[in-house]
Amino acid sequence: MIPAGTAGAAGVPVPAGAGTGTPAAGSPRPVPVPDEQSAPFWAATARHMLTAARCARCRSLTIPPDQVCPHCDATDPEFVFEPVSGRGRIRSWTVVRQSFLPGFNAELPYLLVDVELDEQQELRMIGRLLDGPDSPVRLGTPVRVAFEDVADGVSIPAFVLADGQEDA
Amino acid sequence: MSGRLTSSNKVAVVGYAHSVVQRHNPRPLGALTVDIVRAAIADAGLVPAQVDGIVAATLFPSAGSHTIEDGVHTVTTTWLAERLGASPRYVAGFQGVGQVSGSVALAVNAIVSGAADHVVLYRSLHNPRGSYHASATDAFGGPAQWTAPTGYFGPLAMIALPYNEYLQRYGATREAMAAVLVEARKNGARIPWSYWYGKPLTAEQYLAAPTLTDPICRYDCDIPVDGVAAFVLTSADRAVDGPNRPVYVSGYAHAVPKTNNRLPLHWPLDDIMTAGLDTARRLWESSGVKPGEVDLPQLYDGFSPFVWFWLESLGLCPVGEAHRFVQDGRIDSDRPDGLPVLSGGGALGNGRMHGIPQMLECYLQLAGRAGDRQRATATLAVACQSSPHYGGAVVYSVDPF
Ligand SMILES: [Zn+2]
Repeated sequence: MIPAGTAGAAGVPVPAGAGTGTPAAGSPRPVPVPDEQSAPFWAATARHMLTAARCARCRSLTIPPDQVCPHCDATDPEFVFEPVSGRGRIRSWTVVRQSFLPGFNAELPYLLVDVELDEQQELRMIGRLLDGPDSPVRLGTPVRVAFEDVADGVSIPAFVLADGQEDA
Repeated sequence: MSGRLTSSNKVAVVGYAHSVVQRHNPRPLGALTVDIVRAAIADAGLVPAQVDGIVAATLFPSAGSHTIEDGVHTVTTTWLAERLGASPRYVAGFQGVGQVSGSVALAVNAIVSGAADHVVLYRSLHNPRGSYHASATDAFGGPAQWTAPTGYFGPLAMIALPYNEYLQRYGATREAMAAVLVEARKNGARIPWSYWYGKPLTAEQYLAAPTLTDPICRYDCDIPVDGVAAFVLTSADRAVDGPNRPVYVSGYAHAVPKTNNRLPLHWPLDDIMTAGLDTARRLWESSGVKPGEVDLPQLYDGFSPFVWFWLESLGLCPVGEAHRFVQDGRIDSDRPDGLPVLSGGGALGNGRMHGIPQMLECYLQLAGRAGDRQRATATLAVACQSSPHYGGAVVYSVDPF
């Protein structure tokens, strides 16, 4: 169990495997292979900063970016990754008890949350909720981003419960 | 522009064949496909040389690490065209998720346009050895880089999120899904070619199964199988000369979602329903049929929540009410007042045959060929496939109204 406040915005690294208190063993956690477009996103997560791609034409945010802006259909969106607050609300969740990726076996069971970020309606991300599989979640529960350091220079965005603000 | 299709009731299904559905068929998928397709042609009273159209979809639906070999894991229409002994002049594959309904649309359009006279449509499904969805990959580029490293991977999590979103939004519970599983497996248990033949499931057994990806348990997922089915379609004019009662294609529609570039396999409930309601509206317009007139709506159930999503998308019950609608025998095909949404057993009651169980049940019942399972009243049917926001549906009729 990761107490809220020790991860994420405070910049304290969370070792992979810490979500269940079980040491990571066997297969390593899968890592992203950045490409030309996604490289700034992963460079930012390595610094524990969450970003989203902003379209130069309509100024809408998108995760992940595509060749064509999904909001204004521009074929030259010139997406630039900009920092976002990392705050959002839970739209759905699931507890994963069997993984199809060996690198997550040491984490089972774990909670995945579908989060709508505060910055823009329907700007949604999916990540692990690091507070543990029995965390009290419901529709609208506020969360904030946290990061798991899964390899040297590779950090993966996740979430932790945010304090209060239930009725904000 | 929308409205009723000019092809409505101009094309009919006139024959079929179906293999046994089993976990692993000892015969290679390609040879089995040739056999089943030839059997369907014979069932339609034709010989292969009279078949001039071949359509299918060939998606191999696994997230796992599998090499895909034509004729082994899947069977493309070009592979079959070289080996069938037919006289093909229209050979096409449907590139989309509603594989069977999409193939029906290709066949109808080919026949009405004159591109082909007799079209064979088939679906060949293969269950590879080893774990179906597991991946040993530890570095993900492309779209999966946004999800796999975060622990979001594979179709169980894909369906678990909108399913739980539905449960939370409408105050439903996993217990409400038991009625869907019991009905699918009751009917599958009566179908001799089904993997689940003779093996019904009780609500108690269903609810005792541990969840894999909450609230999904293994019974909520169709089981991967080896299986092949084929149908022959021709024009309504020619269909009346065949040995079987024709079943007319009254209309079809496919989903065209605008999802704002979601993460891979991220299917929010609102995406499903927004596109699903639009798909259904076009389906009814395409066929000139209203939902209340359908007496055999065969709903897709590759994952059990799809049954609820289709019930609501098609307007067979109000949005948010499907979890109540399926209770108390209202989808029991054995009750005179039950709406038979899974009378063909679906994918949950047959195995992972994609949209085949739905199309087959529509065909068998409307052609009067369902044997012991024949219903007294089956005049207008719908076969759905996949999620309402990526799949499609076809309306079938006994009469070319
Ligand atoms: Zn834009």
